[in-house]
Amino acid sequence: MRAPRGRSLWPAAALAAALVALRFVGNDFLAYQVALFLIYGIATQGVALCWGRLGFLPLGHALFFGLGAYIAGGTAKAGVAQPLWWMALPLALLLPALLAWMVARLVFARRMRSGPYFSLITLAMTMLGFLAAQQWSGLTGGFNGMGDIPEPPGLERFSTLYWLVAAAAVASTATLGVLVGRPLGVLWRAIAQNEERLQLFGYATDRIKANAYALSAFLAAGAGALFATHQGIVTPQAMSFVLATEFVIWAAVGGKASPLGALLGAVIVGYASAELRDHFATWEVFVGLLFIAVVRFLPEGLSGLAGMKALRAARPGLAPVPAPPTRAPEQAPALVYDDVRSSQGGVRILDGLSFRLEGPGIRAVIGPNGAGKTSAFNVLTGHLPVTAGRIIAGGRDVTGQAAWRVARLGVGRKLQVPSVFAELTVRENLCVALWAGRLHAPAALHDSPHAWHTPLLDEMLGCFPELAASLEVPAGRLSQGHRQALEFVMTVLPEPHLLLLDEPCAGLSPAETHQMIQVIQRAVQRLNAAALLIEHDLAAVAALQGEVYVFHQGRMLAQGSLQAMQADPAVRAVYAGARK
Amino acid sequence: MDGGTLLHALNLVYELATLALTTLGLAVVFGLLGVMNMAHGEFVMIGAYSVVAVQQWGLPTIAAFPLAIAVCAALGWVVERWLIRPLYRRPFDTLLATWALAMLMRKVVEAIWGKGFRNVEDALTVAVPIGSTSYPAYRLGLIALAIMLLAALFFWYRRSSAGLRVRAMTGNPMLAQALGIDTQRLASRTFVVGVVLAGTAGVMLAPLIRVEPGIGVDYLLDAFFVLVVGGLGTLGGFAGGVALIGGSQALVSSIAGQTSGYAVVLIISILFLWLKPNGIFSRR
Amino acid sequence: MDRRQFLHSAAAATALGALPPVFAAGAVKVGVMIPQSGPGGLFGPSCKACAELAAETVNARGGLLGQKIELLFADAGLAPAEAAQAALKLWKGSGAAAVIGMHDSAVRGALVNLFKGQVPYFYTPVYEGGECARGTYINGETPQQQLQPVIPWIAAERKPKKWYLIGNDYIWGRNTNAAAKGYIEKTGAQVVGDEYLPFTVDNFDASLARIRDSGADAVLVSLVGGSSVGFHKAFASFGLAEKALRLGTLIEENTLAGIGLANAKNLYSSAGYFANITTPAATAFADAYAKRFGPQAPALNGLAESTYEGFLMLEAVAKKAGALSVAKMDAASEGVSYSGPRGAVTMKSRHVEQDVYVADVGDKGFRIVKTFSRVSSGQTCQAA
Repeated sequence: MRAPRGRSLWPAAALAAALVALRFVGNDFLAYQVALFLIYGIATQGVALCWGRLGFLPLGHALFFGLGAYIAGGTAKAGVAQPLWWMALPLALLLPALLAWMVARLVFARRMRSGPYFSLITLAMTMLGFLAAQQWSGLTGGFNGMGDIPEPPGLERFSTLYWLVAAAAVASTATLGVLVGRPLGVLWRAIAQNEERLQLFGYATDRIKANAYALSAFLAAGAGALFATHQGIVTPQAMSFVLATEFVIWAAVGGKASPLGALLGAVIVGYASAELRDHFATWEVFVGLLFIAVVRFLPEGLSGLAGMKALRAARPGLAPVPAPPTRAPEQAPALVYDDVRSSQGGVRILDGLSFRLEGPGIRAVIGPNGAGKTSAFNVLTGHLPVTAGRIIAGGRDVTGQAAWRVARLGVGRKLQVPSVFAELTVRENLCVALWAGRLHAPAALHDSPHAWHTPLLDEMLGCFPELAASLEVPAGRLSQGHRQALEFVMTVLPEPHLLLLDEPCAGLSPAETHQMIQVIQRAVQRLNAAALLIEHDLAAVAALQGEVYVFHQGRMLAQGSLQAMQADPAVRAVYAGARK
Repeated sequence: MDGGTLLHALNLVYELATLALTTLGLAVVFGLLGVMNMAHGEFVMIGAYSVVAVQQWGLPTIAAFPLAIAVCAALGWVVERWLIRPLYRRPFDTLLATWALAMLMRKVVEAIWGKGFRNVEDALTVAVPIGSTSYPAYRLGLIALAIMLLAALFFWYRRSSAGLRVRAMTGNPMLAQALGIDTQRLASRTFVVGVVLAGTAGVMLAPLIRVEPGIGVDYLLDAFFVLVVGGLGTLGGFAGGVALIGGSQALVSSIAGQTSGYAVVLIISILFLWLKPNGIFSRR
Repeated sequence: MDRRQFLHSAAAATALGALPPVFAAGAVKVGVMIPQSGPGGLFGPSCKACAELAAETVNARGGLLGQKIELLFADAGLAPAEAAQAALKLWKGSGAAAVIGMHDSAVRGALVNLFKGQVPYFYTPVYEGGECARGTYINGETPQQQLQPVIPWIAAERKPKKWYLIGNDYIWGRNTNAAAKGYIEKTGAQVVGDEYLPFTVDNFDASLARIRDSGADAVLVSLVGGSSVGFHKAFASFGLAEKALRLGTLIEENTLAGIGLANAKNLYSSAGYFANITTPAATAFADAYAKRFGPQAPALNGLAESTYEGFLMLEAVAKKAGALSVAKMDAASEGVSYSGPRGAVTMKSRHVEQDVYVADVGDKGFRIVKTFSRVSSGQTCQAA
């Protein structure tokens, strides 16, 4: 697969040109004011990163902005008497980022669907910070604020400081713009679209989200540090809920999917507000209406309207490169279910399920609806809580572990409803799967993983030429059959040795079913893997010629060859409805 | 009971009653309908401003009730129809949309009445002697009214047929619809009831608080924290949340000052949001 | 030029000629920072009115150094950093040559930090003392002025034994109460409580319970704006007004209106100005104000009137200095005196010596019960 080169730097270049021009067109005072909103804009970009890229909304980003401002202010003031203090300035950016990272790790590790609660937690933390800033006046100057903050040596507040701020804004926009195109950026977007699926590949999504949040806090804190020297005074308002709200509004209106959009949102809307607020009492009403309209009708903000979405389209460029080997274990882990029980809301979903799976080969799992087939998979990959019993994979007790941990043991799962990353292209979907277990942190920042390929990938694309033909199509637009194929290919790309396939032929025509079964057999053989395949189509099960497990009412009813099952009176009674 | 302790006890009851009153609307909207209405506090604020408006126009203060109810009901109906209903399944977007609405409401009130605080005259500032202390009559009236309102709502929810329909809809919306319950209309009416409750709370509190456009946020956060800590959808959860949040705030404030009281509430809420987001008594 | 245009310009020229003062070319811009939002927001309209009246009065006398005053307003009720930005807009953005400020001390600190003595800055309201920055001229009452003669007088009149001090948690609240402690102890009474509240508090129950429990028979209230109104209302509603007298150094007409006369029993206010002072100068001012703004005028009060005083001081110092430069004005300011609604005001150490009035509350509002003449501000700033 070939990969792209930097069209992602255009927004930053355009911004740089505009900022230079502004200095010659406008006067000192205008530059001073615009610089203030550029500073706010950098923090807004942090909010837009989390919200527009990763899909969670930090409602309290002013906390990090304020922390950066206070720490930088305090350090700068101390630096007047003792220049060594200037060395402590990076702490103003690192400490808030560290705090953000810790909080996010703690919150995201607990539950996946924590989106709105995370937002409320960040809001509550900002309010705590605001209270602390007002109370601990010995440290922060309290309500009066921390004043007399000097300018950085060599820069003058009303003239040359502008260049430092402009450089920071351009650097921030450029970095974010580039990151979006790198593998890390693709993973971010995947998280926003389908975090569950990403976890099933073994990606520790809570860590990725926490790292991104730390990055956004770093940006906000950097902006805060600039704010301190720019204004010369830091008051608790820099850490307030009101400022946090403004960041969100500017990100929404400017465009949360585009770093430049978010920055311009702050500059244009913020500057206009500051100017017009005094002249028109109704200006703020207008901004409120604008915000509602944007939330309701224009999710991508004004920059989306202008078509400024961060460029990620077709990229010519790098030559294909063989991928590094995967980190997953080499052999199929033996899988043991030991009297597993699970219930929810009073309904017993699994009622003492026990079986043992060893060695490669495909086993089919059949049974009537509600027998617990998909649930058996769900308890393994952490989607369903286990109330009693144990699950052992590869000799290790994996009961109740998070999906990504289980995936890293070499378990691959294909979901019942074909689940792909709908807004990523087919190529990007395949990349995400391919990178699983192979991508180290530094490589995620490089372009090269876009060009990785493995022999298995080539073989799979050969089996499904229709996928190879639609590499640039967003996966959401594929037909059901193609989507099943895509998801299957993605499931095998990380080279797992235990495959859980949930109705891979659902919705396929007989011809497609036949083809899918053949590909499954080929892949399983190639990987020397063990596979559990849930299937309703008994013709397909017959074609597999493997062992068959029959589930009923949350436990294993019988196992053996298909003929044996078809002859078993208990199985027949269940299927015919004679037995409950 | 000596005067000092009686006074403290009455103050505590007053604080819990106020908290219960201002949380009630959100308990209906968030607890029953699952809508994160970030504009809840602004509806309380509008209720308070209704009193300002009524006094400005020289009408008797009691006219503030029908005014607040009318304004909140109309606004609530419009909002539910055009902002909430399209976004029912998307909690994030509902959060943002209602936040935007809150901002809009704040700015409109600012444009009309300015950003400064407004004064509301109150009758009943007399202190009524109770036991060995004296307590403002208005507050006693408010406590009594709060208890009556809560009791009435509880009985309505548990005993009436409308309440039954709402409970059906909350428990299983699809089944309720299949049974012929017009869930859309019911949801709309429930939302309106929720915001009207908020407005009414604002009217009752107006003489006792600082009436400013920005007061909504504090009520919103307190209400949210009560519901998060107590759990959604049950009266036990509501009472538990009010007791825990209101009680700890009152306790810490009397020892270490108001700011510390508020800080403790924030910390408790953060812990619940993190570790037990379904609260103490949740519906599940 | 056709006939119509000629007639128009002739008419204009005649109109100009008919104006009594002759202004030198151009106008001088004076920035006026008044609170239009926040805790002090309710003073905005009256301050604006007094500033406009002041500008018109000074302009009628020939303007500031012969130039017509043009007023530029900005909102000082925002948080300090934002207020500083607003002031910056007036100064660097619009070219204000002097700034008159009627706002809280936090904003003053931010503005002093911003101006760094480069523009003359007149700060007019009641404040906590201690401001000696270059280029800053203070007209407002200080705690020493308001309390040093007054507390002993109250001690003699009402003989309180236990004082409770309560204030907003910032520099004015704390400094006022700290100064009071000394004077109270000198009268032989005891200070039984001293607490500070944030601006946004509206529930005073805990504090009131403490006041009651302490057995205080006098309370010094150093609260501002909404907090002040809320506190006094709650104080009375708990029946404490009969048990303890209250003294405040920032209770003016608006606050009293909010509190309500029924809740203001045993309430004393110590200030440099009340709207119903009966000296000739004060009455003339009140009449001029009523005439200019009509019956719907924003209620005249001490803080708004201080804005007027600020303009009078600006006019006087500028006249003596001969220019609007900080260096000249600093040197010239010592001893400058003028006569205004408050009476005779003399600048010493860039603060003022002025008369202090004590009022209690009767059926119609404030009643002046004592006047102290020419009270020193108690501040010593070295001339820069």
